[in-house]
Amino acid sequence: MTQPARTAAGKPRRLDTFSLPSEPGNERLALARVAGTVKDLGLSEARLEKLKTAVAEATMNAIEHGNGNHAEIPVEVEVSQDGDEIIVAISDQGGEATAGDAQAGDAQAGSAPAEEPDLLKKLDGAQSPRGWGLFLIRNMVDAMDITTNGQRHTIWLTMRTGGAAHGEHV
Amino acid sequence: MASMCEATTKVLPGAAVIELSGEVDGSAAAVLTDAYQRAVTSAAAKSPAGVDGPGTVVLDFAAVDYINSTGIALIVSVLARARAERRKVVACGLSAHYREIFDITRLSDFIELFPDLDGAVSQLTGPAA
Repeated sequence: MTQPARTAAGKPRRLDTFSLPSEPGNERLALARVAGTVKDLGLSEARLEKLKTAVAEATMNAIEHGNGNHAEIPVEVEVSQDGDEIIVAISDQGGEATAGDAQAGDAQAGSAPAEEPDLLKKLDGAQSPRGWGLFLIRNMVDAMDITTNGQRHTIWLTMRTGGAAHGEHV
Repeated sequence: MASMCEATTKVLPGAAVIELSGEVDGSAAAVLTDAYQRAVTSAAAKSPAGVDGPGTVVLDFAAVDYINSTGIALIVSVLARARAERRKVVACGLSAHYREIFDITRLSDFIELFPDLDGAVSQLTGPAA
């Protein structure tokens, strides 16, 4: 597995691994389980809420766009801690297609280039109302990395236990 | 997937209120669309002017515990429809987390946010004479 380069010394400590069938709604199970795993690691309530949203969105993308809602293909989730960083890795079998589809926000848009969501364009009908998933994730966590190894597509969510993400007021 | 979202509507002078509860996600599309239609139709029926319905639609999220990106998309669709019908949309009852998401997505540029329904209603109806 290819993991993003990290500067923190030491080896990440694995806290939990689990997998879920790719069925709509199962992102709520991932959200709840990750929240339970990290609840005592020092995240503020506001930052825990952000991580929960990011985990739910990434899992939803993996279920829908990565694994095509095929229940028999699992979404795999790994939670680890590396110094003051909590890292959640969410993997599907969608290969390179996962991110493009998730950003575009609908099934037909897989071949279209990913476009940043623009509310005005959405209100004017120039963009689909959907396509907020990756945008939300990026704005919820301290870092988001995506790796692809063959068909295995993984989104890495990093949240520091002491920091503030993206304009957050502390 | 069955929707975990419920919606009730009520009519106030100049405004229709949609009180949402549960989870606002993609499965709530029919619930939200039907509630919007019901709200503006009920308001139009009670309006002295009769046909145009309310100038403002209030979305009350006080009993909502989860909104995801597909729920945001539904709210965008409601806002787009309301704007096409020249109605204002305001929202109340959002948690701090979801207020921030409304800011990040710029929904709060187009939907005025109030802490609670009382605050929204008092703003809409103005100070007592």
